[in-house]
Amino acid sequence: MNPLVDQLLVAALVLGALAFFVVRYLRKRASGKACGGDCCPTQKTPNAKLQTPNAKR
Amino acid sequence: MSDPPSAVRHIAIAGNPNCGKSTIFNVLTGLRQKVGNYPGVTVEKKTGRFFGSHGEPMELLDLPGSYSLQVRSPDEAVARDVLLGRQPDTPRPDAIICVVDASNLERNLYLVAQMLELQIPAVVALNMVDVAEKNGIVIDLMALREKLGVPVLPMVATKGVGFIELRQALSRTPLPPPPFCAQMPIVLERETMALARRLPVDPAVARGEALLLLTLHEQALTELAHHDRIVIEDTRAAQARLHTAGLDPTSAPVEARYRWIGEICAAALHRGGGAFGPSVSDRLDGWLTHRVWGWAAFLAMMLLMFFCIFTVAAYPMEWIDTGIGALGRWLGGFLPASDLRSLLTDGVIAGVGGVVIFLPQILILFFFLGILEDTGYMARAAFIMDRLMSKVGLHGKSFIPMLSSFACAIPGIMATRTIENRKDRLVTILVAPLMSCSARLPVYALMIAVLIPAASALEKAGIMLCMYLLGIVAAFAMAWLFKKTLLRGETPMLLLEMPPYRLPAWKTILVRMWERGFLFLRRAGTVILALSILLWALATYPKPSDPATSPADAIAQSFAGKMGHAIEPLIRPLGYDWKIGIGLIASFAAREVFVGTMSIVYAVESGPDEDLAPLRDTMRAERRADGSPVFTPLVCLGLMVFYVLAMQCISTVAIVRRETNSWRWPLFQIAYMTSLAWVAALVVYQGGRLLGWT
Repeated sequence: MNPLVDQLLVAALVLGALAFFVVRYLRKRASGKACGGDCCPTQKTPNAKLQTPNAKR
Repeated sequence: MSDPPSAVRHIAIAGNPNCGKSTIFNVLTGLRQKVGNYPGVTVEKKTGRFFGSHGEPMELLDLPGSYSLQVRSPDEAVARDVLLGRQPDTPRPDAIICVVDASNLERNLYLVAQMLELQIPAVVALNMVDVAEKNGIVIDLMALREKLGVPVLPMVATKGVGFIELRQALSRTPLPPPPFCAQMPIVLERETMALARRLPVDPAVARGEALLLLTLHEQALTELAHHDRIVIEDTRAAQARLHTAGLDPTSAPVEARYRWIGEICAAALHRGGGAFGPSVSDRLDGWLTHRVWGWAAFLAMMLLMFFCIFTVAAYPMEWIDTGIGALGRWLGGFLPASDLRSLLTDGVIAGVGGVVIFLPQILILFFFLGILEDTGYMARAAFIMDRLMSKVGLHGKSFIPMLSSFACAIPGIMATRTIENRKDRLVTILVAPLMSCSARLPVYALMIAVLIPAASALEKAGIMLCMYLLGIVAAFAMAWLFKKTLLRGETPMLLLEMPPYRLPAWKTILVRMWERGFLFLRRAGTVILALSILLWALATYPKPSDPATSPADAIAQSFAGKMGHAIEPLIRPLGYDWKIGIGLIASFAAREVFVGTMSIVYAVESGPDEDLAPLRDTMRAERRADGSPVFTPLVCLGLMVFYVLAMQCISTVAIVRRETNSWRWPLFQIAYMTSLAWVAALVVYQGGRLLGWT
């Protein structure tokens, strides 16, 4: 593999990983989530599966 | 009270703890709010949307359980404030679904009586009628409807019975306000109405609010924050007049409501024969809450859980391990030797694969926790633990948050909202992260595999049980210390409702396992993946100037190597080398990251030409400069003890900050837990060496 391509791909992946944490932090702050944990019960509820009136019949 | 047809109506679900509110909420909205067969699962309001029987949209609010509107704890205050329209972010509900446990009608009707006094249209959902029938309780629905003056619908929420009728009842527009409520003594009624007229609140709730104010004790009145001084003085004057009239304002409304409930029950509640002997639940409780057998049963259940974690999970773990190895080899053969190949194989596959391998064990842990929660055993565990907890000054209600912390400390810390006293709540928040959460499981499992690879599953389960017990003992010891020093106070008595034993709802347990498994995999595919890439970069760069440098020397000169070397003086007394130091630093983000980090460090160190060996084998083969093994039994035990006691979780820090509304307590928690972990690991390692062990 071309060393330049190799280094560029590695740099892109590392920067992408860094960007992931920055975006995650900003999104959590914007959504008002209490903590960064995946098991945080205060996170906004997932998209509600809207039921039709007859769904449970 | 009625809204224009186009507006979304707000419906609140309220009722006593553990009467099935969240189950009804989940069925109506299609959401997956956590449910459990013990009181205190819901501690804050949850919202979801559903449709009535004519397709009209409605906003549903699931409120925390409460026995009365005279609140004692923060979670009960949420229910009261929403119903009284005190919460600025939540509109006052247009209707209430009063969920009532049919097998405990008399007690549940007290909150219904208070809710009817608020003059909000209500529908009574008489849940668990099947349990009531089994207990020989017959409820005359017509009589109950007539006496309450609101629709009463028999339901079995767990089986989906009664939801069509519930939707139809809620779709009635407008739902009329309740016509009856408990008749108060005339003097009290007069004072209530007089105070209500002076209250600066919505006239619809003024009477209910005034009645709540009149029943407050002096101290509660002093601490009142949402009314101004004039209202409090008016209340005091009204209370004084009632006392002069020979009426106790705190007990008179309670007596009036119970008189009313008595009349209702006399007309609508009939107990059949055969319900006087001890039920199966009572007989089981005789064993499971026994002073000796209760503990034996608790330990046996934990041991069985860990035994299954080591035996049943072994096969899928082996398959995942084989799959990860094959993927690494395929990628290694596919890509030429380069940094990209090293990043993908030594960083991504080693880091993420090292964590994903523990998925089967996590699933089994949640399967057992689900069974224990669903059957109602958790309340019994709280009961037997209370004997010990009251001795160390811990509030009896602390054990439910602490039990929740076995899954994850975050919901555990939020569950402390059921505790009324601030100091007791703080003590519980401070010690809850000492309970072993599911993120510690991969660390324990790895270290046990390194420590005793050839031992039987029962021996491994025994060590795992010891680690969990160490967490419980440490939590109790620290709680005792805090109650004696920082947060002194009386230990209140535990009043815990024992839910009846139920067969577990397998669907709920499977859904919960699926959710936890999904969360674990999503975390592995996002946070752990990104961390693995960054850790690989830290362990690879800067590269040594001499290309002939060995991979082992190269990682020592990398950023990660320098960080590990920087903290080595601190951890050397514990028997750890600088590579373990890298794992300790990285796992400040989350405990399970330790496993992924060690995978990456050893994969990068092994160089490009070596296959990925299972991490436990690499760790067992790891040697110091003098040729002695790094992971001796004392180091493995010390590491496990360190992870039992250390606060290695950023998310927990964030939630403690939010729940205590200050940085003081989370910082104190980090300091005391890290110090405790360091000292305990030092005692294990140095103490063991003094005794001649390795």
